[in-house]
Amino acid sequence: MSQFQRRWRRNRTLWITILAMLLLFLAAIRGMETKDWVITLLRGLSVGAITFLVASGFSLIFGLMDVLNMAHGTFFMIGAYVGWTVVVRPDTFIDLVPPVLLVGCGIVLIPLWRHLTRSVKAGAAALRFGPWLWLLAGGVMLGLALAHYPVTKWDPGVYANSPVTNSFEAGQGILALPSPVGFGPRVSPLIVIGGIILGGLAIGLGIALFNARNDPGTGGEGGRGKRPPAGALALGLGLLAGGLLVFIYNNPITEVIFGLNRTWLFVIAGFVTLFVGIALGSVMEITLIRPLYERTIYQIMLTLGLSAIGVELVRAIWGLQEFTMPRPSIFDGTGEGCPATSLADLIRYQCSTVSILGGRVRTYNEIFIPLLGIIVLITVWLLLQRTKLGMIVRAGVQDSEMVEALGINVRRVFTLVFALGVGLASFGGLIGAPSTGLTTKLGISLLLNVLIALAIGGLTSYPGAALGSLIVGLLQQFIIKYGQLGINIPFLEEPFKPTPPLVPATTVLLMVVILLIMPNGLLGRRE
Amino acid sequence: MDRLLAVHDIHTFIGQFHILQGVSLDVPPGSRVALLGRNGAGKTTTLKSILGLTPPRKGRVVFNGEEIQGRRSFDIAAMGIGYVPEHRAIFRDLSVEENLKLAERAKGDLDRKDDFIFELFPDLKRFLRLRGNQLSGGQQQMLAIARALVPDNRLLLIDEPTEGLAPILIEQLIEAIMQLSAQTTILLVEQNFVVASHLAEEYVIIEEGRSVKAGRMEDLVHDQETIRRYLEAA
Repeated sequence: MSQFQRRWRRNRTLWITILAMLLLFLAAIRGMETKDWVITLLRGLSVGAITFLVASGFSLIFGLMDVLNMAHGTFFMIGAYVGWTVVVRPDTFIDLVPPVLLVGCGIVLIPLWRHLTRSVKAGAAALRFGPWLWLLAGGVMLGLALAHYPVTKWDPGVYANSPVTNSFEAGQGILALPSPVGFGPRVSPLIVIGGIILGGLAIGLGIALFNARNDPGTGGEGGRGKRPPAGALALGLGLLAGGLLVFIYNNPITEVIFGLNRTWLFVIAGFVTLFVGIALGSVMEITLIRPLYERTIYQIMLTLGLSAIGVELVRAIWGLQEFTMPRPSIFDGTGEGCPATSLADLIRYQCSTVSILGGRVRTYNEIFIPLLGIIVLITVWLLLQRTKLGMIVRAGVQDSEMVEALGINVRRVFTLVFALGVGLASFGGLIGAPSTGLTTKLGISLLLNVLIALAIGGLTSYPGAALGSLIVGLLQQFIIKYGQLGINIPFLEEPFKPTPPLVPATTVLLMVVILLIMPNGLLGRRE
Repeated sequence: MDRLLAVHDIHTFIGQFHILQGVSLDVPPGSRVALLGRNGAGKTTTLKSILGLTPPRKGRVVFNGEEIQGRRSFDIAAMGIGYVPEHRAIFRDLSVEENLKLAERAKGDLDRKDDFIFELFPDLKRFLRLRGNQLSGGQQQMLAIARALVPDNRLLLIDEPTEGLAPILIEQLIEAIMQLSAQTTILLVEQNFVVASHLAEEYVIIEEGRSVKAGRMEDLVHDQETIRRYLEAA
């Protein structure tokens, strides 16, 4: 068999799919004007990229640990709301940084506690009640301290009216800086901050004791670590120092941040949403998913429940208003030189729209989002192909038991991948927000798209996640476009116009057709 | 110390099924021990229980003087136990090189051992860049064994190495395993009694989840009564 034949045989499905998609695409654009199909194509890419940011994590998590994380879309939504808050109300965000870092300090010090408590011999009663006692003490301390900790509060309703104007004014410095909130008259900041730190430490100790109780004999991760965990200690001290610094310099930092333009706020929000997602993901994996690895049905019930809780939590904090997210200011230019007709113009005038082949295309939604999607696609692919972690993940997707038998702590890799997947979804929420807007329904509708995309592309295949997301995005946008243009069908007087409810229906239809022909999706592996 | 591995009366459950109902065995350092018994007797489960993949609920497993039952598998493996599972569970989507690299416990393990490994299995060196699923069955089996040789393992658990292989490959494999045993201790499961009798010096017979007989292989070869009772198809 020649090289060519072998290659053809291996990638047959892929080539046929690409060919079919090209033909479909050509058929779809035949009746359209150039500017129409260009814009539809780019919109499809944009929707595909947003879908992919969620689908990739979902598929990696399912492939590696067989967990269908139905809460994945909810993390997208949470990312959008958190990112929105950072961009629109950075003062509140800065107020919240110290307690989060200080509690985080207690949590990351868990390995240190395990190391220290290993040599302590405790009676049965102490082992039984000790962890609960520490958790309770920590919780009470934290609750009391946080109740007296000042956070800037505001009425979300204001932003339902005109968030763009509001943040525009803030960006221009017209909006008066909100007056900083302080501690109540009879509350000592020292006690509150001390309470938060001690509360976090106590909770960390409680969790460490739980671990020790459930996992006796191994004494910490790996059991052979006789050295104190220096990494955890350094990270903990770093978080402590960071939290205290932000607390002390709260007002100057807030002022500086209000002076930044929205592009920088977006960059900050990018890191924050990624971090929030990673933190939420690791906490969720360690505390809730881990005990249920053997019980698939319970996992689905748990993650579905969590997604409902997430929605309610967002409603409780941000209210029922729908928000719009302002774009980063470098994609906001209008006036002279816009819409840009060349790349040089685009960079020079930072136009919000670009003119491509006669169509006006929005820079952020239809150029930046697809580009970012491609960057993430390549980054994750390199991570999977070129690093030891990626090697472990690829091997673990096939047989995680064997990976463990090679002496690799698979559970830790599970946590890491889960955290990164959730982080990516949360980051996707920020990126997608200017295009999708913010509603509490965001997560559910996106999850549906993700599931369809993965069913089409193949549930555990990384390229499949990309291909499926792309197909779903393009198909939806083309159907929407044809809803405006109408399709000329022979023997019909009127052109047929697909109504909006038909849009999700077509993707489901495509999924059904593909699953009938290829039960494992386009690039899925036969199990 | 006269035993590298000692298993004392372990009981293992898979779901509700009481698979191992008292298996005991000793593996002296430097020896080759074969686990014999009919299909479904619990040989594979015994290997998995030693490694903690199916943790025993009762009983003790002592490796190198330390009790290891109840520890996590990666921890047990890292103490120096290599595992070659049945059905050649190599990683299909990873290249041969990646399969070997993944088994490194310390950076540079593969560089240190590659001369030895490729001398034993020259085919692997030629196909370093191929993916696991592009190898033939025999090559996959060699890769599975080679993978266990990358780190310095003191004990190899080998499950059905010759299953489904052509006779000529079986001969090659026997030779390779014999060469290995100069360096490590081997506990293997083997259905094919002729192969097992060539490979192992000692045997342990498992019947319905219990270890029923152990001794020297050379005695077993002449013990038609035992062979008929425990090993021949019922």
